[in-house]
Amino acid sequence: MTELVGQAGLAGHPAASPLTVALLRPLRADHCLVSSAEIERLSAELGDLVAHRPGGPFRLTDYLVRTTLWPSANPGPTSPFAWSAGTARRGIGLAAVRSLVAGTTQSPVDGVGLAVSRAVSDQRRGRGPMSSMGQWLATLTVAGRAAVQADAVTWASRLWNSLDWKAFDRPPIIGRDHWWDSPHSSLLAIRSRAEVRGSSTDGRGNPVSVHLVVLSGPRRAAVRSELSLVALAEALRTGDPRPPGRIVGWWPDSGHFVSLEVDQVTLSLGVATVARTVALLGATERGSGAAA
Amino acid sequence: MAGGLRAWLEDGAGALVARRGDDAPPLHLGPRLLLGQADQNSPSLQTLHVAPKREDYPSQVVTSYLVHALFRQLVTTGSVGDPLTDALDALGLHPNRAGLVRHVGRLDRRATSELRAELTNQIGHLRELTPHFAPGWLPRTDDRVAIPLAGGRVVLCGVFDLLVGAPAPGQASLCALQLTSGGPWAFARTALHYLALLETLRHGNPPFRLGLLDSAVGRYVIEDVQQEHLRAMTSHLVTRLAHLADD
Repeated sequence: MTELVGQAGLAGHPAASPLTVALLRPLRADHCLVSSAEIERLSAELGDLVAHRPGGPFRLTDYLVRTTLWPSANPGPTSPFAWSAGTARRGIGLAAVRSLVAGTTQSPVDGVGLAVSRAVSDQRRGRGPMSSMGQWLATLTVAGRAAVQADAVTWASRLWNSLDWKAFDRPPIIGRDHWWDSPHSSLLAIRSRAEVRGSSTDGRGNPVSVHLVVLSGPRRAAVRSELSLVALAEALRTGDPRPPGRIVGWWPDSGHFVSLEVDQVTLSLGVATVARTVALLGATERGSGAAA
Repeated sequence: MAGGLRAWLEDGAGALVARRGDDAPPLHLGPRLLLGQADQNSPSLQTLHVAPKREDYPSQVVTSYLVHALFRQLVTTGSVGDPLTDALDALGLHPNRAGLVRHVGRLDRRATSELRAELTNQIGHLRELTPHFAPGWLPRTDDRVAIPLAGGRVVLCGVFDLLVGAPAPGQASLCALQLTSGGPWAFARTALHYLALLETLRHGNPPFRLGLLDSAVGRYVIEDVQQEHLRAMTSHLVTRLAHLADD
């Protein structure tokens, strides 16, 4: 696993933004992709981790890993999910960036406006799948909706401004979460959350997938473990013929980013992260069971 | 330039961390603590972590939050209806403003009427002062900046009320606009220079121009960002970090 810690704006590159370079540059010439036999071994190892363990089923996300392994990083009481300007901005912002990349809108303001009006319109006409966010947006006043749009515009603008979109050799995929469901145990699934997914090449010129993850909160040493979960899920899932090559985590607040190349060490870290999370969740379950 | 300013700040943060110890939790510092007047009422590290009384909202704070919400609406949609209703509808969508919304809801009729009149006055000024920002200028409100120092153990924080333009490598390409709704004018200007420094550290370049709007009286100032501003602010912060270490 190699780790590049950078800061957008300080690593000079005349054409592309530093974050674009960090995401799309080819992997090192000596980079070794993980063999399919090793992937299969890791898959079986993960299945064994959850077998007969209390607390399951385990549907692991980066959020669950972070709050389980490093609870001090998320102080404050947890409350049930509810739509708010804060919880809606990512979904609407991603829809806006998607429309910008596709060329159907020309600015984050337009993209967010289109996303919100579509969600409300679909909701009112009963068109498309029912969306809880659409239902919620439809209940808001004009001012409430403007507040949601303002938050989403800022979120989308930061992502839109951070990358040179013309540097992608094919249109990137914006904001589609991937899940890996263990073929060895129905008790385990791992989510790969990434805001932007594109392509690069390994040292031999073969295509690999690269993934940009937008991070929030403080910079933390544990972020490598969070990103290794994305690497692991991408390596294990079979939906993409390109193996994962790189995961880049980026903090818009500070402009810093951290880059992990997906190799044996990164995947081992991912398995260790899953093992620790599952063990802690299982222990919590046992504790609450004993208390009950 | 950004690298030199950062190194200077790292020295100041290092001294603070040495005083607090490596195991101390990260310290998030904003303009109130870093730029406040050095008198007996200015916050210190000892008072920083004391949570304010949740339901204690001075009228100026209430007005500030409500005007801020209206400003965001004006930038985003170009229009505002009834100022008090719209501002409360907007703030009601932020769970951490629930206390403030409840507070306003409990005001008596006279206080509510005065608040509505004040908001009407201020939004009138904002309509006059705020141009329509074309979407292509990429206007965005409440853009948060957080610059970690000393390995993340000290974090300099701030929020731009409005940024316009796209960051470009090697170019000062942003315009920053800040809003004050009757607070101290000098502090607001200093806070804007502080934000310009944070942006310099975030993207390597400062905004090329700063604007400050005072919605209470309808005045404004526009200024270019000078290197001296950034150096002076850095020097001030390093001194302030040293004072905090001595508190």
